[in-house]
Amino acid sequence: MSSATSTPHLAVNRPNLTQVGTIVWLSSELMFFAGLFAMYFTHRSVAGPEVWNEGYEFLNITFSGINTVILVLSSVTCQLGVWAAERFQPVRTGSLFQVSKWGMQEWFILTYLMGATFIAGQVFEYAELAHMGLTLQNSTYGSVFYLATGFHGLHVIGGLIAFLFVLLRSFSAHRFGEHEATTALVVSYYWHFVDAVWIVLFGVIYLLPML
Amino acid sequence: MNATSHGPRTEPYKPMRIEAIFFLGLIGFFVPMFVLYGLWSGWEPVGSTALALVVGLWGMVGFYLMILSRRIDPRPEDDPMADVADAAGEYGTFSPWSWWPLVLGVAVSFVFLGAAVGWWLLGIGAGIALVGLVGHVLEFSRNHHAH
Repeated sequence: MSSATSTPHLAVNRPNLTQVGTIVWLSSELMFFAGLFAMYFTHRSVAGPEVWNEGYEFLNITFSGINTVILVLSSVTCQLGVWAAERFQPVRTGSLFQVSKWGMQEWFILTYLMGATFIAGQVFEYAELAHMGLTLQNSTYGSVFYLATGFHGLHVIGGLIAFLFVLLRSFSAHRFGEHEATTALVVSYYWHFVDAVWIVLFGVIYLLPML
Repeated sequence: MNATSHGPRTEPYKPMRIEAIFFLGLIGFFVPMFVLYGLWSGWEPVGSTALALVVGLWGMVGFYLMILSRRIDPRPEDDPMADVADAAGEYGTFSPWSWWPLVLGVAVSFVFLGAAVGWWLLGIGAGIALVGLVGHVLEFSRNHHAH
């Protein structure tokens, strides 16, 4: 810093420690979900495919499929927000309807709304299932279903809280810099990860029994 | 070591290559292990799933480091002839000290105490956690750190 005046040196592009750390942490999160997948498959091998098919009857695949599409699209809007953050552009430069001029805040608010829609959809789905008689307590299928999708849902809620903090940091910064951009980037890593896990979970829970 | 070995190297070296190879190399170990385990156990679900995702565990970090190695400049860590001084410079944003982790620790204590004593404690823990999280995340965006 102080040496920059006496001996000018070139800016070096070093790995961002926050980003590398986030990826390493996410790889351990993968093992957390490995436990949930293992639980789910164990249930099938111990309880037998009949119990699986019985519980599977309750699921509304169309509804959950639409919800999945919303979550996947939220990853796209999140990435568009990250690109804006990498340009160090927190807010839009045009009107609200000029989507191409949106900044990070607009994209992340949209992502937040889509993520919140996903959670609302999941709550609605749970309510429907409980109404039809599939609960955490009354069947083993219910237990593994709610544990697997519920822990994923908690991760999405955690991501939504993280988005609020990204926005708070961005709102409170007079100059949107590296500090804010890094926050946006690592939260997007997390969001893409949670999204990818849901695609696998959706495939395993909703689509696999159809085969 | 003679003095002529110091200074900029003439032959190019790839940054972070060793790290990427280390993580990706473990894929080469765990993929055969996954297949062997699966075949021997008749695709027993718990271990097979876990081993498949262990491949993901190493692969995620490995591929990330591989992509990263193309984006960054050569680091002194990759150069056997580097000097300690070559590693000087900015590494990121670090907090010199903070009280907020203590607040978060108290909050988590209440949450876990809630599971043992009574669930009403969880609410208190969540409240303290909210204060701690906001304080921790915004510590370097407020007051005299505002930028």
